[in-house]
This record gives sequence, C-alpha cells and structure tokens, in this order.
Amino acid sequence: MSPWERRERGGLYYTRSRKVDGRVVREYVGGGVLGELAARMDAEERRRRDEAAAAWREERDHLEGLAGLLDGFCEDVETMTRAALLAAGFRRHKRGEWRKRRRD
Amino acid sequence: MTNEGQAGEGGAALQPYKDVAVGRPKDPDLSPMSQDEREAYRETVGKLRELVKKAEKGTKKAVPEIREILREHPHLCWRLSNLSGLTEGALIDRMSRDEDLASKELMKRQLACMREEVAGDDPSPLERLLAERVVATWLQVQLFEGIYASSMSKGMTLDQADYHQRRIDRAHNRHLSAVRALAQIRKLGPAVQINIAEKQINNAG
Repeated sequence: MSPWERRERGGLYYTRSRKVDGRVVREYVGGGVLGELAARMDAEERRRRDEAAAAWREERDHLEGLAGLLDGFCEDVETMTRAALLAAGFRRHKRGEWRKRRRD
Repeated sequence: MTNEGQAGEGGAALQPYKDVAVGRPKDPDLSPMSQDEREAYRETVGKLRELVKKAEKGTKKAVPEIREILREHPHLCWRLSNLSGLTEGALIDRMSRDEDLASKELMKRQLACMREEVAGDDPSPLERLLAERVVATWLQVQLFEGIYASSMSKGMTLDQADYHQRRIDRAHNRHLSAVRALAQIRKLGPAVQINIAEKQINNAG
C-alpha cells in the first residue's frame, strides 16, 4: 500500500503504517513539503536499515565460515585421536573414559 | 630431541625420531594441498570416521581397518597440521587489519610459543596435534569475545547479541573439549601409536 493517500479535496497526504499490539495503525504525517520531507526521511531510514541488515548478514556468513573451518579441523583431530586410541587397543567405556581393552 | 632408548611397558624400545617444532614441522608435505590431495584427504578421513563409529559401536573388525589406514596414510597428521595453520591464519586475518603485517606476525609467534607450552616437553605427534587444537580453539574464543565486546560499544540488536553469545558458548565448549582430550591422552600415558610421514612413532608407556 502506498504511503501517499489522496484526500477528498484532491491533495496528497503522507502516512506511516506501523504495528501496535498486532494491529496495523496508520499515522497521518502531512501533505506538501512536510509530507515530502517525512517520505525522504523514511526512505533514508529504510535504506540505512537495509544496509545494516546486509552488512550483518555478510558479517554472520563470514563468522560462520571461520567457525566452520575450525569445526572441520576439530572434528578431524577428534577422528584421528579416537582412531589412534582404538588402534592402540583402547575402548570407550559407556561413551566416557577410554580404557585399555583386556586381552582375551 | 629424540625419544631413543626409552622402553615401553611391554619392554619394546621406542624407535628414534627427530622432533620438530610444534605446529610447524619442516615437512615438504606441509605445502598447501592441491585439489586432488584435498579430496584424497577428505575421503581418507571420512572413511576413518565411519570406521571409528563402527568400532565404538562394537564392530571388532573395524579396528584392524583403522590400523591399516593409519599405517597406509602417515601424512594424515601433517595434513591436519596444515589445516590447523590455515584455520589459524584465517582467524588472525579476521583479528587484525589487512595491512598490519607486524601484528599478524606477532600473533603467529605468540601462538607458536603457546603451542609449545601447551604441548610440553617431548610431545608425541598426537599430543602436538591436540595442543594445536587447544590453541586454535582458544584463539576462536578470543576472536568471538573480541567481536562481541566491540559490537557492544557500537550497538547491536537483541538477535545479534544472542547470536554472539551462542557463538561464544560454542567456542568455549570446543575449547574445553580440546583441553579435556589433551589431558585424557596424557593421562592414558604414551601408549598410543601414530604414524607420521615415514617414521613410526611408538610411544609405548
């Protein structure tokens, strides 16, 4: 829905919509220069918010990438450690401590 | 530094090996992996992971296969070290400005000292690897705490704060788990064998 509303007398009136307790409430700002100014300020605010959201997405993806790199390394070391322990004749007791397997 | 002459529980003398600096072994295979090498590495580690799972569930025949893989792929440990270096480099890059080469170098040296300290005297290759993990996870904790602190001063949304907190918690858990694993290997004593390059390291305790 356009924020510009045509009044009965023919003039354009700038409005803002926001949610209050789950309901959309329309706030009437003004027409003419005042409406134009408010529209520009809102557009600028939206642009700033979109930029911040995009920057945050980029930052989060970068951090996830870094964490993923380390997670991969940690998992491989874990695999290597367990493999070395199993190869050395250890077994894991109830998913906890490692014990030397008794020779049958 | 060698472990020559030390005898194990079973009386088996340890085979000599030349120790190398922690985390920076001078091995030609430490060069960045090619695409084929990366794929081969991933395939081997993936197979090892499956076998470890099977062995832990009680499949006895998986253990000889694990031994076979460890014997046939003595470069796995170096490859992992290589991965550790790459990970550390990426974390350092994130923590310092691109052009600040001095800080990067200083951090690398500090981490190398830390690795040596954590690994201790005469570490086995496995201990060395685990020490690398301890240092890498510690660095990650520092990174995420630093980012959180700087975001707090700049201002952030509740969702962003929540994300940072969860990341810090996960990093802490990873670090604690790395410390526990190293302590566990030390507690079990040097009875764990691991193949490194052409040399069989046998730390029978």
